[in-house]
Amino acid sequence: MLPLSLLKTAQGHPMLVELKNGETYNGHLVNCDTWMNIHLREVICTSKDGDRFWRMQECYIRGNTIKYLRVPDEVIDKVQEETNKSRTDRKPPGVGRGRGRGRDDPSGRPAKGMGRSQDDGGAKGFGGGRGRSGPNNRSGGSRGGGRGRG
Amino acid sequence: MSGGPGLESLVDQQISVITNDGRNIVGVLKGFDQATNIILDESHERVYSTKEGVQQLVLGLYIIRGDNISIVGEVDEDLDSNLDLSELRAHPLKPIIH
Amino acid sequence: MSQSGRKETVLDLAKFVDKGVQVKLTGGRQVTGTLKGYDQLLNLVLDEAVEFLRDPDDPLKNTDQTRRLGLIVCRGTAVMLVSPTDGTDEIANPFIQPDGA
Repeated sequence: MLPLSLLKTAQGHPMLVELKNGETYNGHLVNCDTWMNIHLREVICTSKDGDRFWRMQECYIRGNTIKYLRVPDEVIDKVQEETNKSRTDRKPPGVGRGRGRGRDDPSGRPAKGMGRSQDDGGAKGFGGGRGRSGPNNRSGGSRGGGRGRG
Repeated sequence: MSGGPGLESLVDQQISVITNDGRNIVGVLKGFDQATNIILDESHERVYSTKEGVQQLVLGLYIIRGDNISIVGEVDEDLDSNLDLSELRAHPLKPIIH
Repeated sequence: MSQSGRKETVLDLAKFVDKGVQVKLTGGRQVTGTLKGYDQLLNLVLDEAVEFLRDPDDPLKNTDQTRRLGLIVCRGTAVMLVSPTDGTDEIANPFIQPDGA
């Protein structure tokens, strides 16, 4: 699974973004692109030391300033669904597929494609494994305030 | 190709990541790309201190940008589960200097 | 170069033209001004720009002191963050923090 696919799937979800300068932004992801540039709405910005806060309607963040993104746990299951769906969607029209020698992938995906090793879709075994309610603003914010590093 | 094949074998395994700001994040590698951006599921941060044991902060699902990653390591889960983190003392890592 | 070429469609800056925007730049500078123009590389033209000065003891921290810059161009490669000043306010801690950790 590609990080940017996960990010794309997270559109509309709340998330926490920490920038390289230590500021954090809590907001709903409106859009993102292949550079990881992101557009957030209903944002709360927390200063590096976690002592000042700003509310902003929206903001645009350049991808290369991002340190990490914290996304709700359930988003990863959605990506799975979508990749599975697109896979099953693709199969019926692929009738000409069995005839070949299995070398030419009709979908044209590169043979080394990283997203492919998910053939075990069903084997993803932690149904109840995630004991959390997903990231929320509170934990994110208190965290932003808690670190005081460097 | 840059650094790509190396991580493929670690997918769905526990890995330990040291970030440029000196944090240690442990989680299950769910994906990565050419820029070494990675997806960590069920991740937590281990906060080291010389005064008390290792604190674990639950982080959940994370996307870490590749240019913020210093080290990715495979976790030996048997060895790791035998660690008594509450007894471990260590200096926190300093951030890297550019 | 390849950085930030083409589709900067994530944010449509057109709706901010002639409106106040806040811009954070790599290195820590922060300016606000009226957006007069932009291009696809995120170079920005700001009029009546005001820079927030930084704490001389801790350059990572902004103070409320400002200096007027007038009409400026922000180089796109240095732009970290753009947001409209409308609807941006400093607020009290919105996160409940039971411990002062």
